[in-house]
Amino acid sequence: MTRAMFVIVALVVVSAAPSVADEAPISGTVKAIDASVKTLTLQTTVQGKTRDVTIVLKPETKIVKFARPTEPGKTGFVEQQLALSDLKPGWFVSVTTKHEGGNEVAEIVTVVLEKPR
Amino acid sequence: MRTKLFTPLAIGVLGLLVGLWLVRPPATRANGDKHEENGGHAHVPAPLEYADVHVPLSVWTDPAMITRGKEIYATRCAVCHGDQGDGKGPAGVALPLKPPDFRDKDGVAEMRDNYWFWRVSEGGQVEPFKGKGSAMPPWKSELSVEDRWAVMAYQHTFSGHHGPHVPWEHPESVAMGRDIFAMACVPCHGVAGKGDGSVGAMLAPRRAPQPRDFTSAEFKFRSTPSGQLPTTADLFRTLTEGVRSGGGPMTIGLRGHRIMPSFQHMPVEQRLEVLEYVKSLNRGFWERSEVQTVAVPVPPTLTPERLTRGKQLYADAECLACHGARGRGDGSSAPTLKDNRDLPIAATDLTRPERFKNGARPEDVYRTLVTGLAGTPMPSYGDSLEPDQAWDLAYYVLSLSRGGRTAEAGFR
Repeated sequence: MTRAMFVIVALVVVSAAPSVADEAPISGTVKAIDASVKTLTLQTTVQGKTRDVTIVLKPETKIVKFARPTEPGKTGFVEQQLALSDLKPGWFVSVTTKHEGGNEVAEIVTVVLEKPR
Repeated sequence: MRTKLFTPLAIGVLGLLVGLWLVRPPATRANGDKHEENGGHAHVPAPLEYADVHVPLSVWTDPAMITRGKEIYATRCAVCHGDQGDGKGPAGVALPLKPPDFRDKDGVAEMRDNYWFWRVSEGGQVEPFKGKGSAMPPWKSELSVEDRWAVMAYQHTFSGHHGPHVPWEHPESVAMGRDIFAMACVPCHGVAGKGDGSVGAMLAPRRAPQPRDFTSAEFKFRSTPSGQLPTTADLFRTLTEGVRSGGGPMTIGLRGHRIMPSFQHMPVEQRLEVLEYVKSLNRGFWERSEVQTVAVPVPPTLTPERLTRGKQLYADAECLACHGARGRGDGSSAPTLKDNRDLPIAATDLTRPERFKNGARPEDVYRTLVTGLAGTPMPSYGDSLEPDQAWDLAYYVLSLSRGGRTAEAGFR
């Protein structure tokens, strides 16, 4: 029984590795925004191949961009919350996602560049 | 007994699997190689169109340029690259392909100035960065050349290196080219690139041509005006095509009467790397203010009238003094010709275009006429011939071989 548990634990650890690592961010150019179904389609390039990835946004998904603070004397950047409707095609974003039910579900959408590259 | 063996074995296997899992790099969907994920740069040379863009030496330490670069950096770069240049700006940390850490002195030292300028100018729009999903925007349409230099000068300050960012300060930036040079070029061009390799002298004993001294200012094969250094594209052309010429016994077997072999089978990236090393032997490539090239117009149609005018120019420009009336390299001055090393040099036999060192297409001959061949008695006619006259003469020169058929065919 103990031996079997060892083997099971080992297999679980190994099989879990790719799914954990698969949550690396997806970055790309915003190709389309569908506010009705709350999806975001990104054009991404992966190892030389360009493809479109559709990402589902949930109510708790954060969309942020960073800007310089306007208060005098403050340095660094401040985080600004955006709505899905604020995003524009052509912007370059990076999205942290999770796999849920076969979909890529966004946790945080970070605006990297606000204009077409 | 079996239980005693199995338990340590199972623990060992489990430990190995956990270890492999821990060291396994994260699977990325938009990233490049690990070096770049860690905030580095790609080990690729700048393409030819950027290869000659060397940042003026004074820029790197000019306080005004650094201040100007800091202002631009703060508004356009810091959100990804970080206020401290560590690649950890708030938007940068969210990217799969991390921005480089400019505080990494070794990493920065490996980046050549033309590579750096290329990256700032083109961003992630070009390969290999595009294929890796780089988020870097191209700044060439928004920032002037000077602004891009200023940003680079400011970014350079993060590395802690004081002084110009040049290969003689950072030999590691040309290490790959140096290794290729050691394998492929040293026998003729010598360890220091002075053209004094052990094999070189045997190629054409006690006469020209001898291997080029890369530390001198004289390069024969150029598209630049007389007295100037060549472009990287000129060097690339010579490296790719080799140099045609009859030589001594050591050149037997070099295909096509080449005294310098063609390196066309060397991968383009390696040819560019070795040229970056070759240029590093001559500071003039960094000290010239701008790179001018001689325009080579589209070859006009060859007509009998053009050949007649060319024949007259051949006499008027005193070509026959060296090359002879029939172009066989037997003019009255030919026996006395010497190169800049005081070595006897033969006037080119114009009836043998397959041995023209600078190429034998009409545009090659045109270029040779207007730029001259530095270090040899062949002068530049760039100031004395109009472009149309240069074409007349180029076509006449080519007509001296094989009954003029070469001129029409374009010999290469």
